[in-house]
Amino acid sequence: MGDLVISIDTGGTFTDLVIHDRSNGRRTIHKLPTTPDDPARGILDGIAVLLGDAEWSPEAVHLLVHGTTLATNAILQRRYAKTGMLTTTGFRDVLEIGRQRRPSFYNLDVSKPVPPATRDCILEIDGRLDETGLEVVPLDEDAIRPAIESLKHSGVVAVAICFMHAYANPDHENRAKEIVREIWPKAYVCTSVEVLREFREFERFASTAMNASLLPVIDSYLERLQAELKAAGIAASPLVMQSNGGAVSVATVRKAPVNTFFSGPAGGVIAAANLAREVDIPNLVSFDMGGTSTDVSLIREGSTAKRNLLEMAGFPVRVPALDIHTIGAGGGSIAWVDPGGLLKVGPQSAGAVPGPALYGRGGEEATVTDANVFLGRLSGASLIGGSMTVFSEKSIAAVTALGDRAGLDPVDAAAGILEIVNVNMMGAVRVVSIERGEDPRDYTLAAFGGAGPLHAADVAREIGIGHIVVPPRPGLLSAIGLLDADRRGDFSVTRLLPASVENLPALREGVEVLSERGAAWQAGEALDASSLTAEWCADLRYLGQAFEITLPLKNGTFDAPALAKLIAGFHRRHESLNGYTMPDQPIEIVTLRLGLAARRSVSESEIPTPATTSVETAIQTHRDVWFPVTGFVPTPIYERIHLKPGHCFAGPAIVEQTDSTTVIPPGASVALDARANLRIKLEGTI
Amino acid sequence: MTDMLDPVTTEVIARHVLAAAEEMGVTLMRTAFSPNIKERNDFSTAVFDANGDVVAQAEHVPIHLGSMIGAIESLKERFPEEDIRPGDMFLANDPYNGGGSHLPDLNLVAPVFHDGKIVAYVANIAHHADVGGMVPGSEAAVCESIFQEGLRLPPVRLMREGELARDIFEVVLLNSRTPDERRGDLNAQLAANHVGIRALTGLIERYGADLFKNALASYLDFTERRFHAAVAELPEGRYAAEDFLGGDDPGTVARLACMLEVSGGRLSFDFSGTAPQLRFARNIPNQALVATVFCVVKSLLDPDAPANGGAFRVIGISAPSGSIVQPTPPAPVGTRSISCSVLSDVVLSALSQAIPGRGFAGSGPHHLLVLSGTDPRNGRYFVDYETVAGAIGAQAHRDGLDAVRTLTSGSANLPVEALEHAYPVRVERYALRRGSGGVGQFRGGDGIVRDYRILSDDVTVSLSGERQDVAAPGVAGGGAGAVGLFMRDPEDEGSRELPSAVQEEPLPRNSILRIETPGGAGYGDPKARDPVSVENDIRDGRPAINR
Repeated sequence: MGDLVISIDTGGTFTDLVIHDRSNGRRTIHKLPTTPDDPARGILDGIAVLLGDAEWSPEAVHLLVHGTTLATNAILQRRYAKTGMLTTTGFRDVLEIGRQRRPSFYNLDVSKPVPPATRDCILEIDGRLDETGLEVVPLDEDAIRPAIESLKHSGVVAVAICFMHAYANPDHENRAKEIVREIWPKAYVCTSVEVLREFREFERFASTAMNASLLPVIDSYLERLQAELKAAGIAASPLVMQSNGGAVSVATVRKAPVNTFFSGPAGGVIAAANLAREVDIPNLVSFDMGGTSTDVSLIREGSTAKRNLLEMAGFPVRVPALDIHTIGAGGGSIAWVDPGGLLKVGPQSAGAVPGPALYGRGGEEATVTDANVFLGRLSGASLIGGSMTVFSEKSIAAVTALGDRAGLDPVDAAAGILEIVNVNMMGAVRVVSIERGEDPRDYTLAAFGGAGPLHAADVAREIGIGHIVVPPRPGLLSAIGLLDADRRGDFSVTRLLPASVENLPALREGVEVLSERGAAWQAGEALDASSLTAEWCADLRYLGQAFEITLPLKNGTFDAPALAKLIAGFHRRHESLNGYTMPDQPIEIVTLRLGLAARRSVSESEIPTPATTSVETAIQTHRDVWFPVTGFVPTPIYERIHLKPGHCFAGPAIVEQTDSTTVIPPGASVALDARANLRIKLEGTI
Repeated sequence: MTDMLDPVTTEVIARHVLAAAEEMGVTLMRTAFSPNIKERNDFSTAVFDANGDVVAQAEHVPIHLGSMIGAIESLKERFPEEDIRPGDMFLANDPYNGGGSHLPDLNLVAPVFHDGKIVAYVANIAHHADVGGMVPGSEAAVCESIFQEGLRLPPVRLMREGELARDIFEVVLLNSRTPDERRGDLNAQLAANHVGIRALTGLIERYGADLFKNALASYLDFTERRFHAAVAELPEGRYAAEDFLGGDDPGTVARLACMLEVSGGRLSFDFSGTAPQLRFARNIPNQALVATVFCVVKSLLDPDAPANGGAFRVIGISAPSGSIVQPTPPAPVGTRSISCSVLSDVVLSALSQAIPGRGFAGSGPHHLLVLSGTDPRNGRYFVDYETVAGAIGAQAHRDGLDAVRTLTSGSANLPVEALEHAYPVRVERYALRRGSGGVGQFRGGDGIVRDYRILSDDVTVSLSGERQDVAAPGVAGGGAGAVGLFMRDPEDEGSRELPSAVQEEPLPRNSILRIETPGGAGYGDPKARDPVSVENDIRDGRPAINR
């Protein structure tokens, strides 16, 4: 095994690859269009280019880490497998009924989402448990065989087994799965408890059906990728990034593809967490703004924030995930004037085709990118380091036309587009911070993605953040983050018990269940126990509430002092989140959680050489750039590759590089730290 | 509309205000105690300007908008501004004296001060599972007077300068069958308003009170213009529609009538011809009427437009006093939400006539059940307030929606696994009521069947439903929706139907209660349905037979 680590971030538009040489810290990057018909092909092509350029042999590859949007795209484009379901008698329609809510409050033309398993492929099986897991009606094993035969006959290739209250007792589901396996060994099959051992049937069934529908998709893709890597002479088996920010073996992902919806954006959040360590700023807002969407997440005390529910194509997916909030706004978002005359931005996006007016591919509507060009923030000359021709006059025409419709002069229209998209970004930051009880003003903004550094200063000011950090390669940070991914598995079990000493035995039993599942995972991942750290947590709430607060549980030990500590911690956290406590109200423990992580040492990148020349040498040109306090002013344009550790300069300034552009407003100051990160301090910040 | 602020500053500040309303909603849901609020989201939050005009409502339950507006109006009527202090909060629920729309919805309003003057209000409303009265759940069609429906509150000061008025708090708790839940839910409501006040205060400090106030006013003006633009596209004229609720006596019906006049860029809705107020609690008080009309107008004309007071300026409403849609005290109003579902069909029908290409068949309202008794697992008394969704009717261009709450309501279901943890029942069937939607070129949405097995000895149920006698009417040749049904022990020999209004019917252990909710109606000739849809109907278990 050699010294190379390769990360592969397959997005909807581009595939980013980074090769990291552990012997010298050197990194080589490559960006190429994604090949949606066969993403593996693009990956192999990219690897071939990278290895060829540096004359590395494939055997030198020690590790591959892969972030993929395959599962997300398969669900959104409904290119998943025909999926069947076995469920408890009386509950065939759970997925169709959902939570009885209209998909849109006021718009009656929005249909309910189509479930991954449709009614004709859902069959009921007798057998019922009560809420404690006690059997009320025995499982009708004889009914399973004909049901499976009939599903098979109708062309189903994946089966979800979803029984009521299975989280409290998985016996019926396990038995049903055994029977399915006996009569149909090749079937893709999963039980609801394997996907999610928590209560609330709609959320669990939807997560499970979605998982089943993805099993064949992910399986065939990963099988092909593995085979092609092997054929290319790469012996290392890839790891796949999951939504929880941990990478796992192909074997694990093939069982639980539902865990990969954030596989793409997770890399960026991990990179932000590493950045937090590197620059020694424990609290960061990770702000990843691209062409069509923006991902925002919080790094608190150096750790990524987690959640347990995300939404996919109108269905809830209750799986462990990084707390990433995505909004459909980015550089391509289209500005428009509503019938009352208010200026609006998004959610429609010009996408890559036709793209912003700037691209000259037929887009005529003003986008955020066009406003940036109009105001001189983005170069109107070229993009991606000159490899893409652009048409700034089209941007100007589009912004001017929009201004006419809104009764604004073109500058105000362009400035207005930016201000409104920035306030939308502010809203996303608010969701992951204020709504989680965190004050964003205590944080530093880490800006990346193609458009993040362009908007970072304005978004920071909007929120009240004074400091910004822009890493050396903002446009490739997600791929870089994958290099450093931990291995990680998360497990949970619902217990629903009052937090009192007489329930300690039952709680300990829950801990045992989790330990067993963790051990099985560890064996499957072929990880050494000594390399693992275990994070134990418990979700608590006041008896009667429905939303829980997750608190750490040291070592998974449930004794009286640990319980007392948990309870005290809960009151404190409830106070800080909600402003009050109820000291006399009993507390309930809802779910126990175990996270197993094998930390990988962060791959040290090459230390950049410090500055030897004056910062002025990095100035490539000047152009007029618009800022709210100054209007258009002549502004120096710095080239990022010439900015070195130790360089300092003041705004107004623009920093350009092939993968992004950074805007530094008047009054702000910039210093490059030892890792060549831009450290921006806004005016009035201490 | 003078001195309108520029469209950018207005949008920016309005976004901040909406974010504050949403943050209030998150706090309320996260901390509430009763399943009705925490699981079913039967609550709303909003921000108002100093005049009491609603500026932003977080999207939860449309019908709540009317009563939050009403609560602020009645607060302003009863308390001069100099009598209101920073840190005060007011609780109200009465439809006749507190701007409410039925008693279980408790409104909590708080002023937001800057430099000693009120610059805004925040408000939230939560549906409490029991506020006293003769029937558990405090919402039952059988009530014959508002005095039977529970504790009536005009605006009362629950917080005085930051101090909780314990005496008033205790009055509310003492009047409920489930005081512990009320305590937790009220705490959650107080917390939500605190969050709203904090967010708005921060905004005012940042932008200055003048700019803030100006932005709110401009936002309403922009919204008004947006609705004006939509109304201007409608052909002027008069459009009439009617439908019927079940009447006071078996076999009778009660008319809901609406005449819409589009003229001069305004929509005037006149409900003359509506039947006199009912003896039972199906009446629709003023704030529920206002909310229903607004909700339909927004849905049809501009679903993405903000829900704020600017929109109300293009809408006029007149309704005869003493009618179902403008009842006078002490008329009971508990189940107004079910009636509003039928009323929204009437308003939809009238307004859609003014829009070429639109057309709506009638919808199936939700049904209400309140189970109460002792939970043998812990010996505690419980009240389980639940609504089971009906469906939305077909439109001139598409099928209706299955198993959803209709336009004016928005709360979710109670998951069966959560229900069985909370109350001594077992749900044995929770399914779409296949084929209950009316046939047509476009079919109506299907309602729901839900069977409860009772697992305790002293459980009773109170039931309320609409469209159990009068089916949702089909349009342009479409079939009617199936009517709703309450039933005891459906599979047994002794099975029997229950009426559409039931008070505390005993349900012995192991008995089964079945709820079948009404389907939406169909639109257009069923023979014109495209063959692929017909095939799908058969595959999906929807027999193509006209009822």
